[in-house]
Amino acid sequence: MMTEADYYALFEAYSHGELAGPARTSLEARLSADPDFALRYADFTELTGTLRAYGRRQQTRQQLRGLHAAMLAAEAPAEAVVAEKPATGLTHTVNPMLRISRTERKLREFWSGHRATVGVAASVAVMAVFATLLGLDIWRNSHLPTRSGYQALRLEINNLKHNQKVLDKTIKRIDGGVAPPLAPVSKFSGTGFALTSEGYLVTSYHVIQGADSLLIEGKNHQRYHAEPVYSDIKHDLAILRITDRKFTGFGRLPYAIKSGQADLGERVFTLGYPREDVVYGEGSLSARSGFEGDTAFYQVSIPVNPGNSGGPLLDERGNLIGVVSGRQNDAQSAAFATKSSYLVRLVDSLAATAKATAPYHLPRYGQLAGSGRPQQLKKLQDYVFVVKVYEKD
Amino acid sequence: MSRGNPTSSSLTPTDDALIAAIRSGDERALAHLYRLHWPMVSHFVLQNSGSEDDAQDVYQEGVMVFYEKVRDGSLELSCQIKTYLYAVCRRLWLKRLTSKSRFGVRLLDDEEHGPYLNTGAEEDVLAAEEQDRRFATMSEALNHLGEPCRSLLEGFYLLDKSMQDLTSEFGYTNADNAKNQKYKCLVRLKKLFFAHYKEEPI
Repeated sequence: MMTEADYYALFEAYSHGELAGPARTSLEARLSADPDFALRYADFTELTGTLRAYGRRQQTRQQLRGLHAAMLAAEAPAEAVVAEKPATGLTHTVNPMLRISRTERKLREFWSGHRATVGVAASVAVMAVFATLLGLDIWRNSHLPTRSGYQALRLEINNLKHNQKVLDKTIKRIDGGVAPPLAPVSKFSGTGFALTSEGYLVTSYHVIQGADSLLIEGKNHQRYHAEPVYSDIKHDLAILRITDRKFTGFGRLPYAIKSGQADLGERVFTLGYPREDVVYGEGSLSARSGFEGDTAFYQVSIPVNPGNSGGPLLDERGNLIGVVSGRQNDAQSAAFATKSSYLVRLVDSLAATAKATAPYHLPRYGQLAGSGRPQQLKKLQDYVFVVKVYEKD
Repeated sequence: MSRGNPTSSSLTPTDDALIAAIRSGDERALAHLYRLHWPMVSHFVLQNSGSEDDAQDVYQEGVMVFYEKVRDGSLELSCQIKTYLYAVCRRLWLKRLTSKSRFGVRLLDDEEHGPYLNTGAEEDVLAAEEQDRRFATMSEALNHLGEPCRSLLEGFYLLDKSMQDLTSEFGYTNADNAKNQKYKCLVRLKKLFFAHYKEEPI
């Protein structure tokens, strides 16, 4: 019985062609007849083939390593060869070897290796900065009830009314009736008060800013149309005139308009329409200058809300000393009112050029001095109005 | 694309001459080829977050694939050697990057090297990988074989020493003894080799 090793001796002799005629024929016959035997031979050839190929591979690797070392060792000659070759008809383009210092190479390697990471880190940092800023801003806004927030609420109510009207209109149209033209809807409102008995009124300029048309509404819901006569943007004053023909006059005004300055610490009060009903507010005159030191304004400690703008500011004896204009959001109950002296000066300059049909007669004497506050207010209420502002959509 | 036509027009005469010279065993031709395309591959690897050493490894693997195919006469080139080498090295480097990186890999390619697809490089690299696995198993098997079998077989098959040299080197009394010993070693190697090699999935 032959061992496996004996077979291998036989196979090797066969594959080297050293086997004599008869032995060779019998082996070939057996290879074709016996599949197991053929498999054994196949294994043998694969094994020796792999061994030889492995040897060759190692040699090649060695050779290539040598080539690389030689190339690096003789970089200058290598470049020379590369440079020569095109002259001998070589058509390849060759990337030039870059000569860079060791540090620069390190930096380049670092950059090319970590380019993506650095990019991601940078964008994360940028986004974090913006997210923080945005977050702080939102946080700050959400912690300050601002007047714009309140006005937005009013606006929403108005929108609601508006939608209702549109709905009504749609229903009417479905019913087949002819829809009446849609009435414009008040967008903003403020307070105004009578300036003269002839039908001039005062309000703040920012109330009527951008107005398309104005409607004055009194305590008893009597309504008048009005038009702006003059606006003093700098002092936030606006003079309106009632244009209704049936309007006959306010009658005698109960308050006088003070042309001098009021004193610090005086008890003052105001009437206004921050909502549908008239609202009373009182406090004292806390400074004789306004926001950021503006001397055209008083600072008063009256809690005011959006809608109070344009309201009259009166002292104990019922003299008009200012026109409520605004408030500081980041300070406790700091409201500002335009000084009445500026109003008087404005009216004087207007009176000089006024038409004879509409003269200015400022009230000279007040009727409120001496009476109690509720009595004062009862008289006053008839001369304080809601100013409704309509804008074109 | 008509692969398998070595005289295709895209081969420059220089390429043909170079291949012929390498096949005939001209070491200077191989050295020339090696120097010629090294800057391209080195540039490519460096550009794609590799180091100088990575470039050298990849390039040597790539040239190896090319060289072995040329020597076997099994190279079927449908493009320039340059493009073929670029494609092979690109494939090799992509594979290494993917195994290294947690993220998806995107390679920056030099447009000037043209269409590196359909160069046959993919299949050649796959075949080379299979060959690598076979050699790794062989190396493993040789390590497990132990002395003197390993040195005997390496001497005969890897280093091409004659049986007479080996007989005197290993102190056998005659060449037949050495031969018998060699066959026995071969049988053991066969068992080790096929036990490992066949286990692994193709």
